[in-house]
Amino acid sequence: MTAVADGEANEKPAYTYIGSDRKRVEDPRLLVGRGGYIADLKMQGLTHAAILRSPVPHGRIVSIDATEALKIPGVIAVLTGEDVKKHMNPCMNFGPPTIPQFPIAVDKVRYVGEAVAAVVAEDRYIAEDGVEALVVEFEDLPAVTDPMKALEPGSAVLHDEHGTNLGYERTFEFGDISEALGRADLVVEDTLHWGRSAGMPMETSGAVARIGLNGVLEIHCNSLNFSYLQFLVATALKIPSNKLTMRPVPAGGSFGSKFTAHKVPTLAGFLALRTGRPVSYVEDRLDHLMNSDHHASDRYYDAKMGFTSEGIITGLDIDVVDDYGAYLQFGVGTHGNAFSQAVGPYTFRDLKYRLRAALTNKCQQGAYRGFGSEVHNWVLERLIDKAAQELGLLPEEIRRRNFIQPDQFPYKIPGGNLYDSGDYPKVLDTALGMIDLAYWRKEKARLREEEGRYIGIGLATTQERSVFSSTEFWFWFDEPAFPITSSPESATITIDPTGAFQLLLHCQAMWGNSPETVSTTIVAEEFGIEPNTVNVSYADTARALPGTGPGGSRYTVMVAGAVRGAARKLKKKLIDIAAHTLEVSAEDLELVDARVQVVGAPERSLGLPELAASAYFFALSLPPGMQSGLEEAYTYDHPYTTLPSADRTDLGVFYPIMGHACHIAVMEVDPDTGQTSFLDYVAVHDAGTVVNPKSLGGHVTGGAAQGLGSTLYEELAYDEEGQFKSSTFLDYLVPTANEVPPFRIGHVETPSPFTEYGIKGGGEGGRMVTPSVVSAAIDDALREYGMRVRELPVKPSEIVATVQDSLARG
Amino acid sequence: MKPPKFMYCDPDSVEEAVALKSRYGHDSLVLAGGQSLMPMLNMRLANPEVLIDINRVTDLQQITRDGDVLEIGAGVRQSVLETDPAVAAAVPLLGLVVPYIGHIENRHRGTVGGSLAHADAAAELPCAAVTLDATIVVQGTEGRREVPAREFFEGFMTNCCAPDELVVAVRFPVTPAAAGSAFVEHARRQGDFALAAAAAVVTLDAQGHIASAAVGVAGISGTPVRATAVQDALVGGPTTTEAIAAAAAAVGDSVNAADDMHATGTYRRHLAVTVVKRAITAAVGNAAAVERNGS
Repeated sequence: MTAVADGEANEKPAYTYIGSDRKRVEDPRLLVGRGGYIADLKMQGLTHAAILRSPVPHGRIVSIDATEALKIPGVIAVLTGEDVKKHMNPCMNFGPPTIPQFPIAVDKVRYVGEAVAAVVAEDRYIAEDGVEALVVEFEDLPAVTDPMKALEPGSAVLHDEHGTNLGYERTFEFGDISEALGRADLVVEDTLHWGRSAGMPMETSGAVARIGLNGVLEIHCNSLNFSYLQFLVATALKIPSNKLTMRPVPAGGSFGSKFTAHKVPTLAGFLALRTGRPVSYVEDRLDHLMNSDHHASDRYYDAKMGFTSEGIITGLDIDVVDDYGAYLQFGVGTHGNAFSQAVGPYTFRDLKYRLRAALTNKCQQGAYRGFGSEVHNWVLERLIDKAAQELGLLPEEIRRRNFIQPDQFPYKIPGGNLYDSGDYPKVLDTALGMIDLAYWRKEKARLREEEGRYIGIGLATTQERSVFSSTEFWFWFDEPAFPITSSPESATITIDPTGAFQLLLHCQAMWGNSPETVSTTIVAEEFGIEPNTVNVSYADTARALPGTGPGGSRYTVMVAGAVRGAARKLKKKLIDIAAHTLEVSAEDLELVDARVQVVGAPERSLGLPELAASAYFFALSLPPGMQSGLEEAYTYDHPYTTLPSADRTDLGVFYPIMGHACHIAVMEVDPDTGQTSFLDYVAVHDAGTVVNPKSLGGHVTGGAAQGLGSTLYEELAYDEEGQFKSSTFLDYLVPTANEVPPFRIGHVETPSPFTEYGIKGGGEGGRMVTPSVVSAAIDDALREYGMRVRELPVKPSEIVATVQDSLARG
Repeated sequence: MKPPKFMYCDPDSVEEAVALKSRYGHDSLVLAGGQSLMPMLNMRLANPEVLIDINRVTDLQQITRDGDVLEIGAGVRQSVLETDPAVAAAVPLLGLVVPYIGHIENRHRGTVGGSLAHADAAAELPCAAVTLDATIVVQGTEGRREVPAREFFEGFMTNCCAPDELVVAVRFPVTPAAAGSAFVEHARRQGDFALAAAAAVVTLDAQGHIASAAVGVAGISGTPVRATAVQDALVGGPTTTEAIAAAAAAVGDSVNAADDMHATGTYRRHLAVTVVKRAITAAVGNAAAVERNGS
């Protein structure tokens, strides 16, 4: 259900395709089972790898005996950390160099599930037989599982070279937090824990590697932003980058879990190089759950927020320990994401943020929809709800009083990032207009009184940052090794000799999102053709122009910029050809509905097929000096980013395309079972100019469903001994269609002043709001029992315990 | 997640299946719907030498009414129990429990005998069998024998079959027409194994007091159990909220499942009492409705 609440349509440029509900062009092939996924890729002589995963959380590898495994007919090779040590450099790593990582553990294992050995065999069954036949001796080391204890002196240390389990520590203060909390009439404090969850695509990470022509290693894979970072894979494999071609394979979902997921393709490449055979390695669900590169944030907060008696926020003081697991592959970029919207949609200026990254014997962290910003949103909203309760303010009222106002944009926040545009009161009012809260508040009282039922209302207003700049990877360090500032995206548009369109994208863009729907919409808008007549393909790294790929809700904005840039160049060429042919001035021509025509005299025109024929076959009819063909490429750089200051008092502009959302949920909670259900849910998002309400609505729905998962169901749990408790979907509970309510979706459009068409990213927003709104609704339903959600996921057992404890106290 | 090598047999008859079972004993496993066995094979938690696939044994796929007994073949798909009018008329509880088994896709494959033989203490059909005093029919080289459900389930995922025996049917006594049946389950998500579930079948006397009560509970210990203390407290008593709540409280003592990541012991005890209370209340309501409609 979608409602575009705008009311100012006459101010918007008139678009033909942008903004209209259109079916995704990707869907037909996906719905008939022709997605072309990695497991579908067959080739002559293909072998299959399986991985022995560590059963111990922390231990030295004493010996690996492969004798029996190698006797099994069909087993080709067994490779271990010793091979890796001899033939590889460490994998790409954006954390401290003292925390290196290899795709197979070298000398030590540091979490349950870490790769210990790879068996390559004629098929996957035999490979798994081989894994079962390996005999490995470990010398157990003390398991480090509690992130607080990990930081204490005397704790066993994961990485000897690093010397401590404190992976990284930094405190940023913007403004004066002591003064800000000192002048507050009310300071609310809380200890909060956001537990581990992860994106769970139906398809896991996988790669097929072989040595091809000229000895070039070809790696087909469904992960990695490889036209950005391919050289880092080549470096790990110790081969020249022009001897490695990475080929994009459509992915069956990512949600962050395939973002720069480098170990699977790197390992497949390594196995192909060592065995000389084509090798397929596709994670199974056990591999993926316990070892996916991408367990997500696991944070423990001590947080304080000051308020005036009117509910105006004075400042925020955060002390957070993030349990990063055994490696720090993306540094602490997940907290850079929190910084990009550190103050939420609110006006306070004083902020302190202390971060300690703890290393423990758990799987490393990676990306998951929100990339750490969703956690910060939850903390902000938890504190504001607590203050609203203590100050006797309605949740919508306290938020409204703190909003940055529409006339304050562009708005530079403490820390340095900039919000491009927004209308937060309008988003709130739109949401309030879609649901009758006065009715629900009366109904809540009536149901409690007359039927003994408990319903609660939750409301949250949060930011939805989009379009990251790569400065966020390194501003944490005073002397970064590689202070990268580029994060471009490219597109090549070709009109073939018949006038048909080819669009080449230059990154691994097909992750179950809608890159083709969006990019063909832009091509269609620019040339006046039907979107579904454009054929889309993806360049491999041997041919790719700079491209960063999806991530941080950047792709729609960036590909729109790239496509429009290429379109401008190509349109100029078409017009120049037409001007020469029609013998009119180029200034008098315009491109309308796939024809170049004389302004004011549309009967004098040439269609694309005629122009294309000239471009390819009639060089003597072209303007003097013009080259044959109709192809133009464009590389679009980040629309607005600035360097951090040397002293880091200003982190620079790194995530300025700022969306916003308001969700309101009405939930029922059963105090005797802890079961929750939804009575209504509205979600209003402002992602700037909406390219396609249907696909954006899909993002909101999917993101909200995953937010619900992280809030109520999904938990990547380890016990005190470091054993992993969530290794199957029996225990890792992904919400299904039965648990996810229908979300009633609304859009507000506040165009970005910095992007083409005013588009903002909207790929992650749902997950950035749902945890806050569900937590608030549960609290509200059981407020009489002192319910206060402090830890996610909220389990039914905790809800019942709170109620029973309260009743026992009387 | 690929199984190790095994030999595959697909007999046509019960006798052949029994002969294979007798020949391979503990080294063999029976494949029916595969909803639990296939994941166990793929995760190498089960490692049989021989897999005996009984899907071709059509004799096991019959439902027959024999006087006061409804006999359901072990190979009958669970989803059939949701829709078969003869089942609904004879044993209404079955139609109430089956929708809680996994999802419809699982029930189209999963079999009645498979669920019973698997003997998961949190599963619905074992709970129904114990509640209804069903008998499980097993067949081995020595022939058929009937085992009361309460003796069939021996412990955590363990049944009483000898190595040469397989489950061939389950016999449910037909529920008296005046009885009210109900089933209440709580799981983390719809389709998950129960954290606690309760089945109740009650009849009322002329005064509206409880004449008989059968209450079974799943998910609280190593096997599905009859809540005898609860039954004893109910029979002869009134159907007031207070009386039912007081009786239901007795089930708490039967809960001995260990803490896991989804439920603490304390929570499970509270939940067990809650589902028992709600199941009895609903069963009483259904019994009263039957009486009203009948009079």
